[in-house]
Amino acid sequence: MAQVSAAIGDPISDAPILEQAKLEAVFADIQAHPLYDHELNGCLNCGICTATCPSAHYYDYSPREIVQLLWTENLEGIYDAMQEKIWACAQCYTCAARCPFGNSPGGLVMIMRETAIKHGMESAKEVLRPFSRVMLKIISTGNQLAPNMITADHFPDWGPNVSKVEAPLAVLRKAIPVPTLHTLDTAWEVNLKTSIELYTIWEATGVLDALETIDQNLFDVITDIMEEKREDYDDWLEEQEDDDD
Amino acid sequence: MDEKSDHGQHFTGHGAEWRDGELGPDQARAATAWVEAKIDRRAMLVNKERVEDVRDIMWQLEKDGEILVHRVSEQHEPVTVKTLYGWDKRIPTNQLWHHKSCGQCGNIPGYPASILWLQNMLETRYLDETDQTSCTAWNYHGSGIGNVVSLASVFLRNFHQAYVSAQAQGLPEGYYYPLVHCGTSFGNYKEMRSFLLHSPALREQVKTILGKLGRLVDGKLLLPEEVVHYSEWLHVVRERIKQHQAVDCGAIRATIHPACHVYKMVPEDAIYDDAVLDGNRLAVSTSLVETLGAQVIDYSTWYDCCGFGFRHIISEREFTRSFAIDRKVRVAIEEAQADVMIGHDTGCITTLDKNQWIGKAAGKGYELPVMADCQFAALICGAHPYKIVQLHWHASPFETLLEKLGIDWRRTKAEFEAYLTEVEAGRVETLYDPKLAITSGPGFAG
Amino acid sequence: MSGPVLVLGGGPAGLAAAHALAAVGQRAVLVEKEDRLGGAPILSGYAKLVPSGEWAKDAIGAMVERVEEDDRVALRTAVQVREFSGEPGAFRATLSDGTDLEVSAAILATGFTHFDAVNKPEWGFGTYPDVVTTTQVEQMLSTGAGVRCPSDGREPERVAILLCVGSRDRQIGREWCSKVCCTVSANLAMEIRETLPRCHVYIYYMDIRTYGLYEDLYYWRSQEEFKVKYIKARIAEVTSDGQRLIVKGEDTLVKRPITIPFDLVVHAIGMDPNVDNLTLASIFGVKLESHGHIARGNAYRAYSATSRPGVFVGGAATGPETIDDSIAQGQAAALAALAAVQGAVRQAS
Repeated sequence: MAQVSAAIGDPISDAPILEQAKLEAVFADIQAHPLYDHELNGCLNCGICTATCPSAHYYDYSPREIVQLLWTENLEGIYDAMQEKIWACAQCYTCAARCPFGNSPGGLVMIMRETAIKHGMESAKEVLRPFSRVMLKIISTGNQLAPNMITADHFPDWGPNVSKVEAPLAVLRKAIPVPTLHTLDTAWEVNLKTSIELYTIWEATGVLDALETIDQNLFDVITDIMEEKREDYDDWLEEQEDDDD
Repeated sequence: MDEKSDHGQHFTGHGAEWRDGELGPDQARAATAWVEAKIDRRAMLVNKERVEDVRDIMWQLEKDGEILVHRVSEQHEPVTVKTLYGWDKRIPTNQLWHHKSCGQCGNIPGYPASILWLQNMLETRYLDETDQTSCTAWNYHGSGIGNVVSLASVFLRNFHQAYVSAQAQGLPEGYYYPLVHCGTSFGNYKEMRSFLLHSPALREQVKTILGKLGRLVDGKLLLPEEVVHYSEWLHVVRERIKQHQAVDCGAIRATIHPACHVYKMVPEDAIYDDAVLDGNRLAVSTSLVETLGAQVIDYSTWYDCCGFGFRHIISEREFTRSFAIDRKVRVAIEEAQADVMIGHDTGCITTLDKNQWIGKAAGKGYELPVMADCQFAALICGAHPYKIVQLHWHASPFETLLEKLGIDWRRTKAEFEAYLTEVEAGRVETLYDPKLAITSGPGFAG
Repeated sequence: MSGPVLVLGGGPAGLAAAHALAAVGQRAVLVEKEDRLGGAPILSGYAKLVPSGEWAKDAIGAMVERVEEDDRVALRTAVQVREFSGEPGAFRATLSDGTDLEVSAAILATGFTHFDAVNKPEWGFGTYPDVVTTTQVEQMLSTGAGVRCPSDGREPERVAILLCVGSRDRQIGREWCSKVCCTVSANLAMEIRETLPRCHVYIYYMDIRTYGLYEDLYYWRSQEEFKVKYIKARIAEVTSDGQRLIVKGEDTLVKRPITIPFDLVVHAIGMDPNVDNLTLASIFGVKLESHGHIARGNAYRAYSATSRPGVFVGGAATGPETIDDSIAQGQAAALAALAAVQGAVRQAS
């Protein structure tokens, strides 16, 4: 709430309130999302979404409230929800499976998250900071998770041992009878050509731009890594041509 | 107690205007039968015209020459099942392209290993290769980085590779059909398929990108006839698996955790089978576990999610662990006296398994073995608990389940530890020829 | 001399139509597929009706008797119409027993089908014996058995009535409001409270549509006199902890999900189009409207008309309808049919 009052303005202080134009710009981006009309048809205010929402058990979060804010075009409420509430959603989509009007509150949350990132909101930056290792991994390799990311240091609450059989990680991985899993840096061995193709998709779909907005450092690291990978791949292609000659 | 003994006696609590309906027993039964007779009519009452089947759009677009459909054909030996609304879905059972899950491979490697082991047992032809990426939907749902165009492009890139992959072995296009291991990939791909079929603008954007990657077929986008989850494959081959049963599991009380992204996302595509829980709930996993003879026990939070949260599992595990313990593990233990919880998705298995350890610190020392349906089936068919099912990566006390199944975990663990010295010496056993895994690019043997 | 008017369906609308025709001297043939007349209120064993408070057996039974005793109405039960051909004034209907009827006009009073609650499996009907439908509770009351938990016959201490089961729900392709369930549920809740004074009854609703005069007679009275609790929340799931039913809803006051134990959960099931409507539409050559009911003509100029001249419609065949309005529509259809028959006679002469 501190963020919100800082952003929107305290009604009894002289601090300037958040510009109406900013609120309108944020909502305009939400509305312009290609899936907005698909995810929101109206609202019967029945509460079945909140009834079945796991996050509503533990957070000040109600999918019904999200839908109501959007449907009634409550611009300040929408902006407020984007500071914190939208990040509480667990993305299970139970709300969407239950809604009698065919809405997808979980899908609306994704639209709001995309918009929070597009506008470089501080809330998004803060929430995504612990995510940077994962994003580095997925964007540069095509795998969200790697065996060497799961360590007792990073996941102390999962217990002192990642494996109940003690052995070096590399040995344990080689003891998996699936050859593509004998890896440490990626969940499975990803073909170099494959990760280059994926990077092309990231570039062409504006995902790298979003990343740059939210985390300049991470963006720089990733572009360096991928440039190297591209060079490696180009070298390999040249070798192939030489071999063919 | 006295109140209960009134049952069946003449009832007098109606007030002054009450009069006996005077229906005889047969009449009363006929009246009730009228209600009960409706129960088999799901398909008829929910007629297809009232709920859209996106496959109709798909076939029309193919007819119009705009897209190409990767068919589930006879070579894939399909089995037809019924979905929620009684529609048909064809599940391939042979020539399968394994679309792996990053969370499974990184974290629960016995999950894909058990699938491949079961397919070897059933003499199924398959390909597990390196030319594939995650669906990237875990990242999208967790962080908001990504969008419909990127997700749809990743979907069709991976599925195009599945379509052409057999060429590396000198086999025709379409030979292998993709089998999706991850529940989130499964749900996400079905959503993307629907968005692609509904939006010409999205098709145009994705087509431009895939064209750049050389991932079009005859200049057209390639879409799969069905998006198939491995749990659906297990469902249709469960009787064949039973024929290989080596361990009796009749004493096991199993609870099922169904995955949200498997049956709540695009729910009309999920399998419901009148022979499984009367067709009232998702069939997969329950059907397999029942077929193997274990007791499937209901519990009140069956519909609840696991608490994975996509973002929360990485950066806000207080929520994840509270939900997993309070709403799933504790309930399964207290209400169902469960010996095991069986799921069919990456995030759920991770969440329900890994979060039990910290529970003890919070005074919630609930211990319940957690594993995927394929891991359970492999154990029951005699797979090695460590070498194949790779249970040592699980934090929950799987040893108690093995003991109830009469499997000596100390002996098999010692066997595995001995095997590790072989591995260190470079003598590695695999489920298939590693050379097959590379189908192009660096390392491809041709 | 014109032939009789075919009235298809022996429920409130059909009974009203047949009686209205006979009352003005027009012969009618009443065809009913079941072996008895009375329609849903009798076949499904309804208890006390809204708004009269009369028992269905008495109220609808009296309508049946009136028609049975009228020699201008020929009764054909346990048969169905297989073919229907001809023109207004001279139709031929072939019945399932092989006989033919020469009729001058037809009135479709074919009613509805109760929503099959098994189509909302997450609400537990078909999985847990103590999840029942309003129809079953009507039967518990009308047979004198009393409201009991089917699993063990005990008197429930906590009953939840869930409104809009099979209504107002795009998930299952049923977007319509079934019109009667709010009032019927308020009525049933009062009957449960009357018969089981120690039982707490909760009604979970999205909106309460006890429209018109039913607002105070049912919605208010059920609260003031019978202490029925109304909670604004659509239930997400009904499960069981092995002891009682567990109902998952939202506490809308604090925007929080809650789970509440109950002994008996009652689905207020909605009104589906008659399952035979596709067959009926093809036999009679009439159109269905977008929800699957029989399409009715323009309200201002041809209220009882269908898309086929000489074939009329009334009652719940056209959409969710109350018994009272079904009776009114049956009479309206009778008048329209009579006008058509007399028009045909005038043309012929």
